[in-house]
Amino acid sequence: MTLKDLYVGDFFQVNQITLEGEIGKRLADMGFHEGVRGEITRCALLGDPIAVRILDYDVSIRKSEAAGIEVQRLGSRLPLGRRHRGGWRRRGKGRRGYGCCTD
Amino acid sequence: MDAVQIEEAEIETSSKIIRIALAGNPNSGKTTLFNALTGSHHRVGNYPGVTVEKREGYRNYKGYGFLITDLPGIYSLTAYSIDEMIARDFILEEKPDLILDVLDSTNLERNLYLCLQFQELGLPLVAAMNMTDEAKSKGIQIDTDLLSQSLGIPMVKTIGPKGVGISDLLDTVIAVVEKRNTLKKYPSYGGEIDPLIDSLAEILAGDPHFAPPPRWFAAKLLEKDPAAWERAAKHRDKTELLAKVQEKVAWIEKHFGKKAEIILSDQRYGYIHGAVKEAVRKEPLSKHTLSEKTDKILLNRVLGLPIFLFVLWGVFKLTFTLGEYPMLWLESLFAGLTGVLESLIPPGIIRSLVVDGIVGGVGGVFSFVPLIIILFFCISFLEDTGYISRAAFISDRFLHLFGLHGQSFMPMILGFGCSVPAIMAARTLKSKRDRLITIFIIPFMSCGAKLPVYVLLAAAFFPRNAGNMVMLMYIIGVALALLASLTISKTVLKGKSTPFVMELPPYRLPTLRGVLWHVWEKIWHYIKKAGTVILLSSLLIWFITTFPAPPPADSVQVAETGQISAPLTQQRQEEPDLLSYSFAGRIGRVLEPVVRPLGFDWKIGVATITGFAAKEVIVSTLGVLYKVGAEETEESESLREAIRQDSNFSPLTALSLMLFILIMPPCFAALATVKAETGWKWLGLMIGFSLALAWIASFIVYQTGSLILALL
Repeated sequence: MTLKDLYVGDFFQVNQITLEGEIGKRLADMGFHEGVRGEITRCALLGDPIAVRILDYDVSIRKSEAAGIEVQRLGSRLPLGRRHRGGWRRRGKGRRGYGCCTD
Repeated sequence: MDAVQIEEAEIETSSKIIRIALAGNPNSGKTTLFNALTGSHHRVGNYPGVTVEKREGYRNYKGYGFLITDLPGIYSLTAYSIDEMIARDFILEEKPDLILDVLDSTNLERNLYLCLQFQELGLPLVAAMNMTDEAKSKGIQIDTDLLSQSLGIPMVKTIGPKGVGISDLLDTVIAVVEKRNTLKKYPSYGGEIDPLIDSLAEILAGDPHFAPPPRWFAAKLLEKDPAAWERAAKHRDKTELLAKVQEKVAWIEKHFGKKAEIILSDQRYGYIHGAVKEAVRKEPLSKHTLSEKTDKILLNRVLGLPIFLFVLWGVFKLTFTLGEYPMLWLESLFAGLTGVLESLIPPGIIRSLVVDGIVGGVGGVFSFVPLIIILFFCISFLEDTGYISRAAFISDRFLHLFGLHGQSFMPMILGFGCSVPAIMAARTLKSKRDRLITIFIIPFMSCGAKLPVYVLLAAAFFPRNAGNMVMLMYIIGVALALLASLTISKTVLKGKSTPFVMELPPYRLPTLRGVLWHVWEKIWHYIKKAGTVILLSSLLIWFITTFPAPPPADSVQVAETGQISAPLTQQRQEEPDLLSYSFAGRIGRVLEPVVRPLGFDWKIGVATITGFAAKEVIVSTLGVLYKVGAEETEESESLREAIRQDSNFSPLTALSLMLFILIMPPCFAALATVKAETGWKWLGLMIGFSLALAWIASFIVYQTGSLILALL
């Protein structure tokens, strides 16, 4: 599971960074180290970028980078019905159109 | 242009000088602490070879003279960003007597991460535990002495804005430099990696000519730092060294099952976590902090965007409404100055030089300084509150569509004021590709100098829709900027999109001093350029419009042009003789075939050429060309009247001209900045691209417009 698969309000623990080179190193330097715990605090209007709280500070990353951070989900601050991943998400199973999730 | 030099006289002669490098994370309160340490005694310059600002200040204390250099705010000492490389090179090359690392106590672990890398460098180190008041209100209790003991780093509690702890800090610095405080320790990477680093450090220390601190360098080699690897090739035993490094990297990656550079970060954080766990107590606060509550509204997924757009609109509204008054005052001030000078200096070439060349040119530039100041004040205020990072967060997705970056947002907005500081602000972008794209499109944001030209043309030819026409130009500019960015990111700068990892600092109430300082930093670049490049170019323009003087018979009124009160019609019969004789006139005539398809006659052609020097000069050139006086402003009725009555100047021509001015290459000052920031290749590309685009756009508008008008 990566950071990208989580919902706003989810708590997580970082397992490892799979990104190579500069970006991987930068994320590691910024505190995404093994075992660090954090929370997805919010996402921008279209679901990208997302804001994450780790080590007592907020950092925003794009979903493409979030996909390179392997995490373990530790539960959520929000009840199931209010969880969202941001973006324009299809509601329900049928093609009943698109709707924007709310905070 | 390493112009930073603190006069020796300012430091007490008897004192011993201690050179301090002030370092720390961005948003750690480093600048505030720097100000608290040095008072107003500082200079701003550049680091040699790069265009990152270098601030130096000094302080006399207890018989010591402290020379403090403010390093760029960084998170780590890798070789991936300019800022980090500068900090790293400064410390390695200049070897300061001491590194003073500013720690944000509300975010200690990440701040200590950098601090430990300084410790590895082996230089004397003192840490300022800054913002202790904020930590306290957040329920964070730090046992500074315990932490200091366990990490082996002398630490002093400070509160930058209140100046608390400054003398303690300086006392500690003296004690450390005088070796009265000897806590010498290296951070540990754990039982498995420490021996590897030790053995590498041993090899490194084997070459007495190899400068970098061995332990630090060993860690950098294991982290596969590209600059360190390059430098390792200079070592005496480089073959042995690199073979050993490769072997150890391979061992680490096999043993831990992860990339070595990630492991080293993990271990460093692990070490910090252990120390912090002992010394820091956090009381879980049930209530949300003010910053969180603010973000709940400002970054709300529904409200965030409307608020963002509203803030943007507010900034512009404030700038242009409030800026109008001082602009008018300055214009009348310069008009008054012109009057005084005219009464003092007898008519002739000197008076023409002073009045038209110097006062006219530079005065025109200064008249919109208030506009720029207000815009920069608003942006600096937002920057200091922390909202600009939120704006980057909100706009990133949209800007990313066009190959830009959320952090391109602020330079783009500054571009509406002046391209020079805007281009420099693009330094906040960490990746070279993003910086280049952002710099490339900044000139499309209509700067303050283009406004007078738009206002003149819009008021003369579209009197009923003048405001809308000006607005339209701004919108076209933004649209072109986005399209240009899209084009360039898909062609010349094709490549992978760069990462967006940006801290969202807590909201802070900006101090007036801090905001004014930021405004001054930005405006200073502008004034410096106005004083040099723009002065020179207005002199050049004066020269080419004045020389060579026409034969004596025609020249009776050359120097008197400003005063002629004869009817316009009479003047217009005289003027071609005067101006077509000058260099400008000749250039204009030669170029006429090129600009004819755009609807420009030679006079507009000349005015446009002078626009290369600075856009607002177009107004004063038109003033000269239409014989209404060079000190004319866009508000003046006479110039508006004069161009309206010219049969060659139709509303369509005006539209085509406005478009051309919008797109054409920016002023010399901006071009000089582009050259300094990016190099000749990019400068050439920018000039070529914008010239071609300007010509094509104006051509299409004018020719299509003419066709439609003919059909109607």
